[in-house]
Amino acid sequence: MTSVSLAARDVSKAFFGNPVLRGVSIELRPGRVHALMGENGAGKSTLINILSGSLSPDSGSLDVGGRTASSLSPAEARQAGIAVVHQELSLVAHLSIAENIGLGAYASRGGRIDYSALAVRAAELCALVGLSGDLSRPIRDLPLGERQLVEIAKALYRNPKVLILDEPTSSLSARETERLMALLRRLKANGVALLYISHRLGEVMDLCDHVTVLKDGVCTADQPMAGMTPDEFVRLMVGRDAGDLFPAFESAARAETVIDVAGLSAGMVQDAALTLRRGEILGLGGLVGQGQEDLLLALYGAMPARARTATMLGAAGLVHSVTAANRRGIAYVPADRKREGLLLTHSIRFNMLLPDFGRAVSLALRRTSTERKLTDGLARLLTVKGDLSRPVQALSGGNQQKVALAKWMPQNPKILLLNDPTRGVDVQTKREIYLMLRRFAQEGQAIILLSSDTPELVHLCDRVLVMREGNLVAELPHGQVTEESIVAAAMGVSPAREAA
Amino acid sequence: MMPSLYWQIQWRRNRRLTPLYGVVLLLLVVYGWLFPGLFSRAGLAHFTQSWFPLALVAMAQAILMLTGGISLAVGSLVSLGAVVAATTMGATGSLVSMLLVLAAGLATGAASGAIVALLRLPAIIVTLAGSFIIGGLALIILPRPGGMILPWLSAVLAGNNPTVLLGLLILLVLGWKFYLATPGGIALYAAGENPVAAYRSGIAVEATVIAAFAISGMLCTLAGLFVAAQTGSGDPVIGTTFTLNSIAAVVLGGVGFLGGEGTMRGALAGSLLLTVMINVMFFLGMPPVAQYIAQGIIIVVAVALPHLLGRRLAP
Repeated sequence: MTSVSLAARDVSKAFFGNPVLRGVSIELRPGRVHALMGENGAGKSTLINILSGSLSPDSGSLDVGGRTASSLSPAEARQAGIAVVHQELSLVAHLSIAENIGLGAYASRGGRIDYSALAVRAAELCALVGLSGDLSRPIRDLPLGERQLVEIAKALYRNPKVLILDEPTSSLSARETERLMALLRRLKANGVALLYISHRLGEVMDLCDHVTVLKDGVCTADQPMAGMTPDEFVRLMVGRDAGDLFPAFESAARAETVIDVAGLSAGMVQDAALTLRRGEILGLGGLVGQGQEDLLLALYGAMPARARTATMLGAAGLVHSVTAANRRGIAYVPADRKREGLLLTHSIRFNMLLPDFGRAVSLALRRTSTERKLTDGLARLLTVKGDLSRPVQALSGGNQQKVALAKWMPQNPKILLLNDPTRGVDVQTKREIYLMLRRFAQEGQAIILLSSDTPELVHLCDRVLVMREGNLVAELPHGQVTEESIVAAAMGVSPAREAA
Repeated sequence: MMPSLYWQIQWRRNRRLTPLYGVVLLLLVVYGWLFPGLFSRAGLAHFTQSWFPLALVAMAQAILMLTGGISLAVGSLVSLGAVVAATTMGATGSLVSMLLVLAAGLATGAASGAIVALLRLPAIIVTLAGSFIIGGLALIILPRPGGMILPWLSAVLAGNNPTVLLGLLILLVLGWKFYLATPGGIALYAAGENPVAAYRSGIAVEATVIAAFAISGMLCTLAGLFVAAQTGSGDPVIGTTFTLNSIAAVVLGGVGFLGGEGTMRGALAGSLLLTVMINVMFFLGMPPVAQYIAQGIIIVVAVALPHLLGRRLAP
């Protein structure tokens, strides 16, 4: 048997009863670049965290350097020579490049950090990753791409036997990427075992020798890269059974346009054009953090935005404040309901009333009877059961999301902007939310549904827009849209063309 | 030849503080011009004495703020140091008494640090509670001002010769420089700004925080010993004003509230600035009330200025 640097055998992990990994095995070998692929939420990060000792698996085992263990501690992982280049960088902004590279593993002389040794080693590593300039610069002065290079140098500082790279190229320029690829090939030749996670299919197919694909926490492929096609990748990453989770699709879109924007720029979004009609559910997909949220916030007036031409609900121009948006009938349900959507310690009733407290108030006094009537009606509509005077935090995630959504309903919003409303929501509640959304659409509300859940976009939406790096790169109407086409557009491959 | 990496890093840290150094220098010149006596040996001694305890508590506060915390117990720790010194010195002699003072600060500091780090409670709450407990302890040890400090010690620390105090300060600064150049010292910055990154990099975050609290507590009780030496006796509530003044000095010195940002030299410069400011206002004959108001305004302006300038520079 060939030697194995690090392996996970049949590991499972669940968070709050939600299985994230189910019986996954992976084997990293010296001198091999292993790709780990999967959609958002497929369990890649969890697997990395288990391999690097940040998380313990619920079951299964790990093989490190010929030893089998049920889990690793971060210290054991370090001792075994496992280093991770994290996607969210683990750098300290106010310390210098050199101090960051050596952080936690300084050579010392007489108890003090040996700065001259550090300078030599850091300079070597920076030359290796292609980072030039003064090593005494603090991280906060560096652009994102250079920070990424420091993060890579930091991992190399420990002479890793196993190097795990999580999306290392997402903020690198083409030249920096090329250099990194050359470096990784050199490490491979020196016998380092590499695990490479990237959404850029081209890179993965060029660099990697072996691939593991995860889908919903299950391993769907563990095979050599040779002979794989982009089409096959996409097929392995998506395509689960939609079952009867979704209501039958029936478009309720009317002719009347409620949003017509061209040349919209805000935050990451560049020059976006979109239209939205009454009764239409417009999906907004793509990999996480490609500017989808900025687009929603711009339409909601919560983020500075410019547009070449804009008509919203019959009036010219974008809305420029949240209050103006609410007055015009635009509502936004944030993704982080705990932080942005709800007052967790207050009652369900109070939260439901919040967007328009004035309704239940007469002569500046609250009228409990009106409040009761309004909120009881909402609770029925949403099938939120039980005592409405309980604090919202007593509800399950799914029910919290329903409250966050419900509170806007009495205002009768004409446009609903939803930011990933079913993230972390159980299947039953998902179904209820889907039914609600279809009903709203039938009643003539226009909905933009930002979602990281691809099936939802396929089965619920009249049209799906896909964003990549701040641009709207594809518009897929219902009937033509498939999970494959969304993922392909999000990753910048057109499967039909590249397969040919 | 290129300066070594260590000095390059130091130089960058100094460069950020140039405006602060400039202001301190300017105020010192104004002060010296208003009060030429400053440049006599006794004048310098008195000025150093008015600065010294604030410098110590500013260092104590800065260490904690670097780890992302803050201490509201600075004042009561100063009081504790003063009463421990005043009640033990007669019986045990000066050396043992001084060791007891330092041990008291080290132990109470480490205990609060352990509560903050291990139970993951906010430092502001723990030190608020700590300020009541430690303040109460000081009152139990010495219910009313009294006790005594050996006269020779008072003479050395609070007499007409600034050499010992300045020497002590230099020693402390060198000690800090040494600590910061150790892996444990630099971990303060990492643990304060980005505990997750620090943990992933293999830093013992809890131990770092506890060490910071212990050092901080020791500096506070040391300040207490000095204050007691100044008056020749102990007073269980003498430290009260130091809590807020230590925060003011540190904020003036550019130490950030979110942890990991700022330098000890900045904190020291901040404490010097505050001391000179108070002295100058005193010599200008401003009533104490006006001094407080001016002090408050200057602090807000000092903190707001970089923000406003930064916003101008950003696109």
